[in-house]
Amino acid sequence: MAKSQKTSVGRRGFLKGAATGAAALVSTPLAEAQTQRNGGSAAADGGASAPTETQLARESGNIRPPVAVRKITRPGSDLMVQTLKELGIEYAAANPGSSFEGLQESLINYGNPPNQMPEFITALHEESAVTMAHGYAKAEGKPMLALLHGTIGIQHAAMSIYQAYYDRVPILMIAGNDPDFIAAHTAHDMAGMVRSFTKWDAEPKTLDEALVAIQRAYNEAITPPMAPTLVVLGSEIQKDNAPNSKVPAYRPPEFPVIDATRAKEIANSLLGAQNPRIAVGRLRTPEGVQRAVELAELVGACTSTTATNGPMSFPQRHPLCGPGADTNYDYTLGLEAPAAQVFIQGPALGPIASSRDTGNIGFGGINGAGLGGGRGARGGPVGTRIEADAEASLPVIINEVKRQITSDQKGRIQERAAKNAGANHEAHVTAVAQAVEAKRAGWNGTPISTARLYAELWPLIKNEDWCLSSPSNFSGGHNAQLWDHNRPYSYLGGQGAGGMGYGAPASVGAALAARARNRIVVNIQTDGDLNYAPGVLWTAVHHKLPMLTVMHNNRAWHQEYMFIEYMAGVRGRGADRAHIGSTLRDPYLDYAKMAAGYGMASEGPITEPAKLSAALKRGVASVKRGEPYLIDVLTQPR
Amino acid sequence: MNCHLKSRLQAAAILIGLLSPLMMLDAQEGARGGGGVSPKNVPAPTSPVTGNPTAGKQLYYSFGCYACHGYNGETGARAFVGRWGNLATEQSFITFLRGRANIAPIPPSTSMPNFSESSMSDKQAKDIYAYIRTFKSTAPDLKDASALNAILEAARQEKK
Ligand SMILES: Cc1ncc(C[n+]2csc(CCOP(=O)(O)OP(=O)(O)O)c2C)c(N)n1
Ligand SMILES: [Mg+2]
Repeated sequence: MAKSQKTSVGRRGFLKGAATGAAALVSTPLAEAQTQRNGGSAAADGGASAPTETQLARESGNIRPPVAVRKITRPGSDLMVQTLKELGIEYAAANPGSSFEGLQESLINYGNPPNQMPEFITALHEESAVTMAHGYAKAEGKPMLALLHGTIGIQHAAMSIYQAYYDRVPILMIAGNDPDFIAAHTAHDMAGMVRSFTKWDAEPKTLDEALVAIQRAYNEAITPPMAPTLVVLGSEIQKDNAPNSKVPAYRPPEFPVIDATRAKEIANSLLGAQNPRIAVGRLRTPEGVQRAVELAELVGACTSTTATNGPMSFPQRHPLCGPGADTNYDYTLGLEAPAAQVFIQGPALGPIASSRDTGNIGFGGINGAGLGGGRGARGGPVGTRIEADAEASLPVIINEVKRQITSDQKGRIQERAAKNAGANHEAHVTAVAQAVEAKRAGWNGTPISTARLYAELWPLIKNEDWCLSSPSNFSGGHNAQLWDHNRPYSYLGGQGAGGMGYGAPASVGAALAARARNRIVVNIQTDGDLNYAPGVLWTAVHHKLPMLTVMHNNRAWHQEYMFIEYMAGVRGRGADRAHIGSTLRDPYLDYAKMAAGYGMASEGPITEPAKLSAALKRGVASVKRGEPYLIDVLTQPR
Repeated sequence: MNCHLKSRLQAAAILIGLLSPLMMLDAQEGARGGGGVSPKNVPAPTSPVTGNPTAGKQLYYSFGCYACHGYNGETGARAFVGRWGNLATEQSFITFLRGRANIAPIPPSTSMPNFSESSMSDKQAKDIYAYIRTFKSTAPDLKDASALNAILEAARQEKK
């Protein structure tokens, strides 16, 4: 560590001096008593000392920080930011905390232009910061940074880290640790609090180690199984002068790829089959999606997709997507999805989880269905699993197919592709006809049916580049039947671990991705979910994010209301008190006003179905101008 | 198999069957909200109604009937307008409410509970029935639900 760069006044000395000086300024008896106690025996007692009045006053902004007596020309945190730049980290979301003040100052001031790559995104809650990164990663297939204040910021973020982990989403996190400031905000092993649900963490002791650790954390996050990773950075290595350090050369990670023999076999089988199929699950990045399309087109296989269920899968309305002309497939290849013959699927999180769960907490389901640990195919038999990354394996398979393909086969493949396309079109029309027939129900009812909400949004966005960023299952999931999901980010899917408080911040993250890409984000927002941390509405306004929020306002945690109703009913106690603790009544919340309070253009509540479409139009127009908008819609509960 | 284990297994089966779509980790079937049920019309019952629909409206709300059947009986997990089923007569409705023999499973459930007479009187049930009988389909012809119609037309026009 660059200790020699320090002046003779150590950091501890600084703080003591500041504390004394400040105590003189705010000389209340309490402050004096606390200053004395702090200088005295707290450590000897073996207990952590409570923050002094002065320290708390500084934390809450009442006192200026001590004047620096040394000049830092090349702080370590500039190099940290340089490292982030070179990794292509677009955004850093944080609620400010002095444990990373060195890094924050570099983020906003270092570089030309400063505050770009990454841009500082102001979060009002650490849970929001991490879930923004969650939504961003689902839309883009790459991580952004969430910065967390020592100990307390990490604790605030914990649920959202857990949820991203469960969702196998890459997030880069940095937490500050300032051992000399407020004892309660430090820890011996800061990352320990979230170790059971992060993939990798480190607390480097020197700046050079820190830069390597940031690169490693990034690589660990983006290799399968993808997950959040955490680097804890001491405040000294952020702040000390670092004249001799430099950003180490970055080496991209290696992805587990299938071996050449397997690739040959697969190519051979796809080309030899009379009726091949490719089952496509959730790939890592948009590039993977492109390659899946390329392979399907090369071999004329019909495909299945999870695009109506989550991001990074096969375009739903690609002519090859659907059951195809003949549902007796003689060879099915799975790409991150189970399949009858062979499927390529990345490593599961389970083994990592068990090795890092040192507290033996044993979170449920980690080894199970939710985490890529071999979810059974619907119905049919499941073939051989090859543990490798499907996306990274695709180029190898594609090359093999190109090498092996004969002109004879090319002709047959073209014919098959045309037949599949025709059959898929028919199947789609039949499915849509059934769907619209069913969704007429309640069309003119009050409050508004969720089906109508989705149906009337569609014509307004279908010619835009759009992303449905919020989970849609509590609002009927009508996008699955009524909308076309043709982009890797068309629908970002569920929360990951069913944790509420996800939709709004994930949408803000998706909107961060969208803003630079001329895309708009649609957030169909349940009311209960918004109320965990509604401050993200302000973040959306502050950063001018193209996010349309349409409330699915059923004035309840309706899922829970139904559970309680059943419980009371089945115990013979009636259901007329089931609303206690499960509904948002007395008073009703006014979401248009709430949004306005955060500075967001808004309207509502809208209860009449006939008034919905015009409101949605105003909303889409606003968002296209880069101004987020909220429409409160009173809906049927489901 | 011991009894306790059996009920646990039943409970687990119910959980998987009913809840997994709600646990957000599973495929979306989109069966909720604005009818998974096609509004094809079974004509509404014409049997006599003796309850008070105004009182019934309040009860439909306070007993949370709307939670699963929608405010108009047309939406949600169990829409009934156009199906009617157990709602053919006042008596068949009451028999249905009293006769549901479901046990309390260990995992949360959203299936319809039994309503014993101690928790909902015959009079209350009749009032609810009277209110339900005022429900009519609000589903327009497809051509008059222009957004839906346009979606179907676009699907038909799509290039093969
Ligand atoms: C962090 C968290 N707390 C509590 C729950 C339990 N829970 C599951 S669904 C739900 C209700 C959500 O309400 P809302 O977002 O309005 O959706 P609705 O069911 O009303 O459509 C709650 C509280 C949860 N899943 N996550
Ligand atoms: Mg709600």
